[in-house]
Amino acid sequence: MLGCLLTWVDCLLGELLTMYRFIRFSTLLVGLFVAISGFAADSTVATLTTPDDLGPEVKQPIEFPHDRHAGNHNPSDPTKGGMEIDCQYCHTYARRSAVAGIPPLQKCIGCHNSIESVKDKPRIKQLFEAWEAKKPIEWKKVHDLPDFVRFNHERHIKRFVEQQKRPTQEACGYCHGDVKNMTVARRQKSLSMGWCASCHEKAHAVTAPGGTPIGKQAYWYTFQKPAAAAGATPDAIKAQGPNDCWQCHK
Amino acid sequence: MSVTNLLENWSQFRHFHPVDDKPHDPYKWAMSIDLDTCTGCNACSVACFAENNIPVVGKDKFEHGQQMHWMRIERYWDEDVSNPGGRDFPDQGAQFLPMMCQQCEAAPCETVCPVAATNHTPDGLNSQIYNRCIGSRYCSANCPFKVRYFNWYDYPTDDSVWPAEMNQQLNPDVSVRSKGVMEKCTFCVQRISAAKITAKNEGRLVHDGEIQTACQQACPTNAITFGNLVDTEARVHKQWEAQRVEIDKDKQEKDEEKGGTDLRGYRILEELRAYPSVMYLERVRESAV
Repeated sequence: MLGCLLTWVDCLLGELLTMYRFIRFSTLLVGLFVAISGFAADSTVATLTTPDDLGPEVKQPIEFPHDRHAGNHNPSDPTKGGMEIDCQYCHTYARRSAVAGIPPLQKCIGCHNSIESVKDKPRIKQLFEAWEAKKPIEWKKVHDLPDFVRFNHERHIKRFVEQQKRPTQEACGYCHGDVKNMTVARRQKSLSMGWCASCHEKAHAVTAPGGTPIGKQAYWYTFQKPAAAAGATPDAIKAQGPNDCWQCHK
Repeated sequence: MSVTNLLENWSQFRHFHPVDDKPHDPYKWAMSIDLDTCTGCNACSVACFAENNIPVVGKDKFEHGQQMHWMRIERYWDEDVSNPGGRDFPDQGAQFLPMMCQQCEAAPCETVCPVAATNHTPDGLNSQIYNRCIGSRYCSANCPFKVRYFNWYDYPTDDSVWPAEMNQQLNPDVSVRSKGVMEKCTFCVQRISAAKITAKNEGRLVHDGEIQTACQQACPTNAITFGNLVDTEARVHKQWEAQRVEIDKDKQEKDEEKGGTDLRGYRILEELRAYPSVMYLERVRESAV
């Protein structure tokens, strides 16, 4: 009698479990659909992204020539080429804080005060006018991540520039594009979560022996059921990089 | 799956973290709160408001149960035997209990989220991802401690909780949540992240005492201890060990002992098998004066 009852309860539980999984999955699908359609319908939401994924064009108060400052020397005509200044000379906080920072006006004046040849150019005049008026230049942010994202420049500079000895312009260029050939900086990458993950999955693949398909899903790793991660090595658990939401989201 | 298997190995099925193949390494954030030293001054709660950009909703909304305090002081009174039918909230004799998200190891809120906006981190925190949350409020309904708070209004704009210039005091390391989003105590994850980055830059692990949560920092009697439970040198580890409270047990061995022990450590609603990461130290005094 008891055995019969147990079997029956067993069946019922199995049924419930299947149902639960189905309901959970379908809720997810419906939720996703509602979320996506809601987002598409509401066009008043400020656009973080544009059709080309590169964000809106930003108009700066002074059209800053990155190419003149950071571009390569032009041996045949030195007046045309760039000065090959390191990115970190002006964006000095990148190596020691989360944000790279926009240089203060002092930094511009520090050099331009002694560069007589360009002092009469309109953009430089504008610079000195602001300096005399003790007003900062109101630079606009180009690479503006959403507020719920935590990104750290310091860690990336430490890894690529200090540990792997890559040139600064290459390391910065992974996210900022070929700035040395731009005037005013423009976004070159989408800076979306999938785009971030496209690197982090490569660099921080979490693999398990025995073919458990948890590889290249570093940030999904913690969602795996214990059974799915049974073959995971201790190394896999210690994999660096974002393997939970809170490492990048705040 | 048979019923016997389910019942016998319940903790394996229910217990998501930690398991043998996925131990907490190198961090497991945990807390202990000494109720004997807690004076119920609410400094922790205020510190939490300041640190985590929590809106102060005002009396009306509070009465509607729309309060947002991630850290709240619960008050309990011994039954007043001498004065039956007395006041519900007497002026004297209250016992205080600071209550915030217990960062459960097998959190009931995590399993019910339809969009996986709340889930477990490898260092044993129960994360809440605001931009993923769709506001179903299922997690809050399933939380046995009732420590999840829902944004019924767009407080920064509609209610102007932080009018111009006052918004300058907002913490840039914490999102300002918008309407329709669930939120809760994070163990000050922004401070944990900052400390981890510093430690990583210096090629070491986070030292004990390097991270202080806002509530811990503000507590005038040092009732709150926060740290890494894996680190055997950590104060919080020593306290848990001395009190013989184990994170992955739903019944502590010391409670099985005949005659009991005089250890004060306990976890709230342990029998629900949520495996909370906060240990409370029972009050020694019989009652207040």
